[in-house]
Amino acid sequence: MDSGFPTDDVAPIAILMDELRSEDVQLRLNAIHSIPTIALALGPDRARQELIPFLQDSVDDEDEVLLALAEELGGFEEYIGGKEHTHILLGPLENLSAVEETLVRDKAAESINKLAASLSPAQIEEFYIPLLKRLSSGEWFTSRTSSAALYAAVYPKVSPAIQDDLRKGYAALGADDTPMVRRAAAKWLGSLIKQLSSAHVLSDGLPIYRRLQGDDQDSVRLLTVEDLIAIAQSLSPAEVKDQLLKQIRGSITDKSWRVRYMAASHFNELAEAVGTELVREELIGHFVQLLKDNEAEVRTAAAGQIPAFSKQLEREVILARVVPCVRDLSTDTSQHVRAALANQICGLAPLLAREATTEHLLPLFLHLLKDDFPEVRLNIISKLETVNDVIGIEMLSENLLPAIVELAEDKSWRVRQAIIEYIPLLAKQLGRTFFDAQLSNLCMSWLGDTVYSIREAATVNLRKLIEVFGLDWARTAIVPRVMGMGSHPNYLFRMTTVQAITIIAPALDLEVIRGEIVDPLLQLAGDAIPNIRFNVAKALEVVGKSYNTTAEGQALVSQRIKPALEQLSKDPDADVQYFASRGLKNVK
Amino acid sequence: MGSDLDRQIEMLKACKPLPEADVKTLCMKAREILIEEGNVQCIDAPVTICGDIHGQFWDMLELFKTAGDCPQTSYLFMGDFVDRGYFSVETFLLLLAMKVRWPDRVCLIRGNHESRQITQVYGFYDECTRKYGSPTVWRYCTDVFDYLSLGAIIDGRVFCVHGGLSPALPSLDMIRGLERRVEVPHEGPMCDLLWSDPDEINGWGLSPRGAGFLFGAEPTKAFLHNNSLDLISRAHQLAMEGYKLMFERMIVTVWSAPNYCYRCGNVAAVLELDEHLGQEYKVFEHAPMDVRSIPARRPPAEYFL
Repeated sequence: MDSGFPTDDVAPIAILMDELRSEDVQLRLNAIHSIPTIALALGPDRARQELIPFLQDSVDDEDEVLLALAEELGGFEEYIGGKEHTHILLGPLENLSAVEETLVRDKAAESINKLAASLSPAQIEEFYIPLLKRLSSGEWFTSRTSSAALYAAVYPKVSPAIQDDLRKGYAALGADDTPMVRRAAAKWLGSLIKQLSSAHVLSDGLPIYRRLQGDDQDSVRLLTVEDLIAIAQSLSPAEVKDQLLKQIRGSITDKSWRVRYMAASHFNELAEAVGTELVREELIGHFVQLLKDNEAEVRTAAAGQIPAFSKQLEREVILARVVPCVRDLSTDTSQHVRAALANQICGLAPLLAREATTEHLLPLFLHLLKDDFPEVRLNIISKLETVNDVIGIEMLSENLLPAIVELAEDKSWRVRQAIIEYIPLLAKQLGRTFFDAQLSNLCMSWLGDTVYSIREAATVNLRKLIEVFGLDWARTAIVPRVMGMGSHPNYLFRMTTVQAITIIAPALDLEVIRGEIVDPLLQLAGDAIPNIRFNVAKALEVVGKSYNTTAEGQALVSQRIKPALEQLSKDPDADVQYFASRGLKNVK
Repeated sequence: MGSDLDRQIEMLKACKPLPEADVKTLCMKAREILIEEGNVQCIDAPVTICGDIHGQFWDMLELFKTAGDCPQTSYLFMGDFVDRGYFSVETFLLLLAMKVRWPDRVCLIRGNHESRQITQVYGFYDECTRKYGSPTVWRYCTDVFDYLSLGAIIDGRVFCVHGGLSPALPSLDMIRGLERRVEVPHEGPMCDLLWSDPDEINGWGLSPRGAGFLFGAEPTKAFLHNNSLDLISRAHQLAMEGYKLMFERMIVTVWSAPNYCYRCGNVAAVLELDEHLGQEYKVFEHAPMDVRSIPARRPPAEYFL
């Protein structure tokens, strides 16, 4: 029986091997996540000699387990004796980079990149570069796909001769027979380009890019949009114009909508990379085309770029070229396009200034505010502050109010809730007079809404309004109406009164609490419904905690609130007792 | 008692299942409470009455958003918490944890799916073994099922039951006399309460479900009269509008699983009885997609069945 080793020496790796052989995936997964602990127990030497080789051989498992392994190995160097040994982790990760499941491969590549940062130039040349070459020339496409992600991290750290090899190797990936490999090459080309000197961008990067940009698979072409931006960023505007114009045009007007979609959603980045001249001569025309694209997805993506791209244009150009498209988009047949437009259109106001905004944009706002789809209307309302700054509240509110009232009564409670959340913001923008005349009734009506979440949001809204308009306003406009509901024959209204008190009490002052709140609240402490009584106990707790800082407040607490809580703590209902006792404990 | 349970309720509200050991303790506590309750549990208005949930966890959270959180709102759930939906475990455990935390504010009565046999066919058993790796949790839960009340009566005027009436049980007192702590039988009075349906027929009829009976307006009227009741509230059948009143408002079906089985397109409802027993039906829809009503990773196909 005696194996010759003390038992606790053998134990860790034996346990791990046992658990890794378990039937249960969850157990194997747990075992993988505990390998740092096991490595600690083994010490760095044995971790290198026994654990890593063992892990290298255990690549035959469920993807979930392999994914966990790939992740753990990325942060494993501290357990195997530090940087000088990092390269031995590359072994198991190389195997993981070649498995079939994409998630595992991606994670393995990510971990290799992480380790690359701490490898010395000697380790890179001795271990990393051979690994990269093996993966890049692997027989099965999976390893070649993974290899594309691994070039950029080490490129700046190796000798010019190896750099030459790396560029050639990458060019081979870009010309691979398998589309999956070309896709990976397109995906990672941008990050490699950023490491190249501008001479090499022109001599090597550009041909790889051109080839991929002209690929016959649209799934490859669409990934080259980001490469294009990376290349344009590392070239001068003149070079961009000479070298890339054809490709820019090609991507933006590609026959596949997925490529155009990609170009549209990166349009502003592209515009910034190519420089003002090309924007004016070339891109503005393309942008207009994308805004008029046949596919709603492309129009949606382009609409999302409107204000950011327009910042690079002169006001006359915006008015002449962009605004007409915006007008068309506001009546687009797709609600997603209109929603994206509604989200962005307010951003044009500061670029156009007051007069042009009033003339050109305001009618479109109002049109979108009446849109059939709530999301469109909400997107407009949520961005109105920008417009308000430009044209002023009066002009806005006159036109805005009917749309808000309509949304406030929408039959979907989530729309009503969204509007309630904007009310404090609107209140700040509109001012008290306007609010009292037009919106305060609405705010009160939400307190009686049939949906609990709306009643709850309505009480929170009241508190925020008190913070906007102040205590005097609360005393006259809010408190009497809230307390009025406290004698309603239906318990739900009485409940709302009690919950509203709980929420707004900390924002009031002692005088209001003493004069208007405490008496009716104590009356409700005798309500027939236990649910009301224990909410009164909670309200009393909040009032007690908020107002016991002054002598007068303490008098209120000891003369009125504590006796009431004591009374409630003897209630026949267990939950009333619970909340009353908790209240007594918390109100010192 | 509060803090541990409150933490578990928070966990369950985020749709995270409890560890097996916690489930065991929770089920033990629940049994201690339920064993004290009658076959027909007496409760006071106001109370919000809910029908079938069927493991549609996120939709049940919509229900709470519409009708209020517990304990502010008192609840009566009329059975069929489990099966069919993707989250029977979380749904039942949340309801059970609420029951243990607020025993006077929550009442759970038994539905025909709260049974060992049915849950092995309609999903709850598989879900338990998938989520816990063994049927232990299913066993704890099904043991609790045997302790659930068979019905409830609100302020002496509204009788609540999962399915409906039984020809063998003309009075509430006879229901009170049943031995309920058993697996739901295939036939007989206890089975009828959980399986029967009202129908536009004369007297009693055979049920196409193969268990329970169909009952018409006459038996309903007689039951209400003999027991001095105003209304029977039951669940058990899908109502496209969320609720359905029948027999001149003598009986109502309440259905609380919106877009049943994630594809029926129905709305759901709860019945709010106020302190004067006034009826208010609150209709609600299924949770929006972005609140995630279907698990991201579908359960693996079962090849070995």
